[in-house]
Amino acid sequence: MPTVGIIANPASGKDIRRLVAHGSVFDNNEKVNILRRVLLALDAVRVRRAIFMPDYYGLGVRALDGLKLSLAGSFLEMPMLGDDQDSTKAAQRFREMGVGCILTLGGDGTNRAVAKGCGTVPLVPISTGTNNAFPYMIEGTVAGLAAGLVAARAVDVERVTFTTKRLEVHADHQLVDIALIDVVVCADLFIGSRALWDPARIREVVLARAQPGSIGLSAVGSSLHPFDARDSTGMYLQLGEGGPSVLAPIAPGLIVPVAIHSYQLLSLGSEVALNSGPCTVALDGERTIEVGHDHRLTVRLTKHGPRVVDIGKCMAEAAWAGVFRSIVLPGDDEAQGRRKSHGSQQGETH
Amino acid sequence: MEVSKEKLIDLYRLMVRIRTFEETVGGLYWEGKTPVFNIAAGPIPGEMHLYSGEEAVATGVCAHLRPEDAVAGTHRAHGHLIAKGVDLKKMMAELFGKKTGLCQGKGGHMHLFDAGLHFGCGGIIGGGIPHVVGAALAYKMQGRDNVAVSFFGEGAANIGAFHESLNLAGLWKLPAVFICEDNLYAISVPKSHSTSVRSNAERAAGYGVPGVLVDGMDVMAVYEAAGEAIARARRGEGPSLIECLCYRYRGHFEGDPQTYKPAGEEEEWRKKDPIPRFAEKLIKDRVFTQADGDRIQQEETAAVNAAVEFARQSPPPEPTEALLHVFA
Repeated sequence: MPTVGIIANPASGKDIRRLVAHGSVFDNNEKVNILRRVLLALDAVRVRRAIFMPDYYGLGVRALDGLKLSLAGSFLEMPMLGDDQDSTKAAQRFREMGVGCILTLGGDGTNRAVAKGCGTVPLVPISTGTNNAFPYMIEGTVAGLAAGLVAARAVDVERVTFTTKRLEVHADHQLVDIALIDVVVCADLFIGSRALWDPARIREVVLARAQPGSIGLSAVGSSLHPFDARDSTGMYLQLGEGGPSVLAPIAPGLIVPVAIHSYQLLSLGSEVALNSGPCTVALDGERTIEVGHDHRLTVRLTKHGPRVVDIGKCMAEAAWAGVFRSIVLPGDDEAQGRRKSHGSQQGETH
Repeated sequence: MEVSKEKLIDLYRLMVRIRTFEETVGGLYWEGKTPVFNIAAGPIPGEMHLYSGEEAVATGVCAHLRPEDAVAGTHRAHGHLIAKGVDLKKMMAELFGKKTGLCQGKGGHMHLFDAGLHFGCGGIIGGGIPHVVGAALAYKMQGRDNVAVSFFGEGAANIGAFHESLNLAGLWKLPAVFICEDNLYAISVPKSHSTSVRSNAERAAGYGVPGVLVDGMDVMAVYEAAGEAIARARRGEGPSLIECLCYRYRGHFEGDPQTYKPAGEEEEWRKKDPIPRFAEKLIKDRVFTQADGDRIQQEETAAVNAAVEFARQSPPPEPTEALLHVFA
């Protein structure tokens, strides 16, 4: 039975970047609207079940309320902590249940949490903010269609998905955390309000992506040597005087010169030692790890990131395969029958 | 954001001062009120709303303020006024209803006023929000770079004054900062039963005011966000709203049975208690030692005890003054 798991983060889109930059406020009512469009799209491509991670705001409950759907909407039964561990646990549960696809609403942080639990289940990540590099800025309808097509196996999943990289942070040879886009050493001693916005406080950066057109530290790397999610490349930068200076959008509306002391490209499997000392380490844009005097961290670039649906490719594959002309998906006996009875009248050939 | 060691220790000391004051008052309040409760009995007459658990919010915000910046507190305002720098003796005397108090004993715990610190508060929920807009308008008209700060709870964000105030502050780009203390309950009503949005940061956006949500149990999270909001207000860039997610350990009022709190909830929040959490970090970063922390606690306990003694020894207002300094 085609099933999609949905993880929507009610807390994303409200951090300090609304004060220090010009980040958009992404309200939860709009997230509900996106989810309703997602559900209608899933329903249209014959997904039978949509299972939500529960959340304190009730995004899923509100999205389902009053919507006439053929699919069954339900919720994971799990204790809620109200933090990113909820997303990780929900992703683990979805993986264990064998859902065909996980659709996320959130930012880089939400997807980082999901990546810790989803295994190889394909992700369709929708961005709910303006400061994200991992999820897509995309209309929920299209994202829902793509997630549904993948979950229903109406397209060749291998062909329309790709495996992403990840940055593995180790302390004393123990994996302590991961990042999907960047690991940043910040001179601040406190996690505080989490976000990064002052390049003068940033010492070192490790990138899994350096995409032109993105916002954040990834944009800094892209000005030196662009590479994307699929390239087997990473980058390590030390900020400060002594090398080139690049102009980069490090936050919404915050386009600043960033001085690069030095940089080097990384290959898959390679590891860099951070010159940490007392500092904080930000993962995907959020200060996450407080590092004391005696701790030393290393970062390894791997190909162990989540598998992501290439939405454009997925929609094109489906179009070329005639999926939208037939509205028939594998295992859809009812629709098969309907197509046989009406196909000749419509003059359709397949 | 670079923060000096001295400032970090000041933040810790302030949180300790607020907690010590509140827990001391929480004990004193019941003197004379048991076994039969009489609200007028004992050294502290009237109702009592305490701030324990929420110290990081007042501390992180007021650390950026000058004495001449205006602050409107809530009905639970001890923490706000202590963080603004009040004389503890005058404040305690006011709670005791003594002539040496901030308002000569006629305001009590809910109506604290300190002209020198440009501070006021009251029992009307959300009543201070428009006052702050007025102060901010005055600052703007006078061309001063002062800021007006309003503290209020998430329940107050459902009254009209909140919305009218944000509208005017946003329209006129006033140097106002709105601090919403979301401690989960409006008296006993959870936010999910009273509020159509999860975060008031979303509502701020509707009035053209940037709104952010921060961990109100983390003094540095509040300090950073408030620092940015206050700085942009001083620069003439307009108002901001910061919603601080926090938790009050005590009841809405002293004597509140708190039956509305689910079992285990408080224990979970106490794991994030802002004071030991900050002390642990300061020790780890070698900002101070455990002995320094203990000494600060002893000093603040002594200061609060001295304030209690001052209040006990102070005279009550003369009966002949009953109609002086009151409006009605």
